[in-house]
Amino acid sequence: MNCQRFESVVSELARGRMMAAEQRDEALAHSDECDDCAGRLRDEEMLTRGLQSLAAEMEPLEAPRAVEAKLLEAFRASRVVTEEKSAFIRVNPRPNSRYWAAAIAAMLLIAISIVVFSWSKRTSDEPRHAVKQEEPQPKPEINNKSNEQLVQDVEKPAVDPLPQRVTPKRVRPVSSRRPDSAQVANHVTKEIATDFIPLSYMSAASLQEGGQIVRVQLPRSALANFGLPVNMDRYNEKVKADVLVGVDGTARAIRFVQ
Amino acid sequence: MSELNDNELLRLMLAGDEEALALLYRRRQGAIYRFALHMSGSRSIAEDVTQEVFLFLMREGHVFDPSKGTVGAFLLGVARNHVLRRLRAEHHLAPLGDDSDDDAPFLEASADMCPLEDLTRAETIESVRKAVLSLPAKYREVVVLCELQDVSYGETAEILGCAIGTIRSRLHRARALLLVKLKPATGVEETSSTTVKSARCFA
Repeated sequence: MNCQRFESVVSELARGRMMAAEQRDEALAHSDECDDCAGRLRDEEMLTRGLQSLAAEMEPLEAPRAVEAKLLEAFRASRVVTEEKSAFIRVNPRPNSRYWAAAIAAMLLIAISIVVFSWSKRTSDEPRHAVKQEEPQPKPEINNKSNEQLVQDVEKPAVDPLPQRVTPKRVRPVSSRRPDSAQVANHVTKEIATDFIPLSYMSAASLQEGGQIVRVQLPRSALANFGLPVNMDRYNEKVKADVLVGVDGTARAIRFVQ
Repeated sequence: MSELNDNELLRLMLAGDEEALALLYRRRQGAIYRFALHMSGSRSIAEDVTQEVFLFLMREGHVFDPSKGTVGAFLLGVARNHVLRRLRAEHHLAPLGDDSDDDAPFLEASADMCPLEDLTRAETIESVRKAVLSLPAKYREVVVLCELQDVSYGETAEILGCAIGTIRSRLHRARALLLVKLKPATGVEETSSTTVKSARCFA
């Protein structure tokens, strides 16, 4: 062991701390050979004795009794305050509870406002739907339709010029909102139909005799005859149409189906 | 109840058991008081710190985490914070020149020694006490805990919130400083080689 190594262990050696026996023997052997390190060890041992003496002298010292008494008094006081506080809480709601109640009321108000808003929005949409439902709807079976309804269907287009009357806006799916839609055939529910377009200037009163709808296929160019747009890419394809045939066998109106 | 450990006493105390507080106080107050006394050199500060530590325990005892250390180490850590705060507030560092009764030497001679030995021993102890008080706080607290209160390196590291290696190096440095302060008083012959070594090793 050299002096530098001895310096690193001299404190532990002087304090009598646990260390490897071999290291301890080497350090003691070095202090026997080196006067400087022997003096260093003596200094450290002297310091250790002085600190141990100080610790031994201070060992009996304790905090005055008054400190304990004050602490216990403070403990009792805090316990009394806590109990009074809990009793007060039981009797009176906490002041903060008012804020909580206000917050909950505000949240409820917001929730109710959202519900009312969404409900009013829905009801404002419904008249539009109702108007649409009043418009002539395609029916799969003419037998289910009264003569008055057929008259209305045909009379309406007669009021307005045809090209303006039949617009893509009116082309919409056969109503799935109608309650009887479930009873309609599957192919009908998937179809989109125009309104009925009158084929002649006959009086609507002649339709009171009844009639029948016949599904036909026409060249797509027939759409142009009624002022409807034609997709030139599908010009050669056929287009489906329902023809309203009167009791006298003449065609009265037509609607196109997609 | 005296057979309960510190953790159980603390739990009972927090539940409102006064006896648990009294037992815990009697078990731990000595170490806290002596630590504060060594660190500050003032009886009044030591008393205040002891009281504040247990008041803190009454209010904030729930913050103690048993997985991080013992109740004793926790209390000493709280005491250390209070002492350093008081010393900073009062600039009360090492009241060596004060003649007030509060800061008078608190060591008394033992009866089984001859007067000369008693005087020598008392002087030595007083010199060591003053030397410890004159150390910088970070070295003083390590000497107080490891040398005077026989706290292990590991527990000291928990109390001070640093690594064990830091505790070792601070203690080594603190002992070197104490030797420098005590040599003139104790009359130990100082060799030139020792001075050179200290300068080389501790600088």
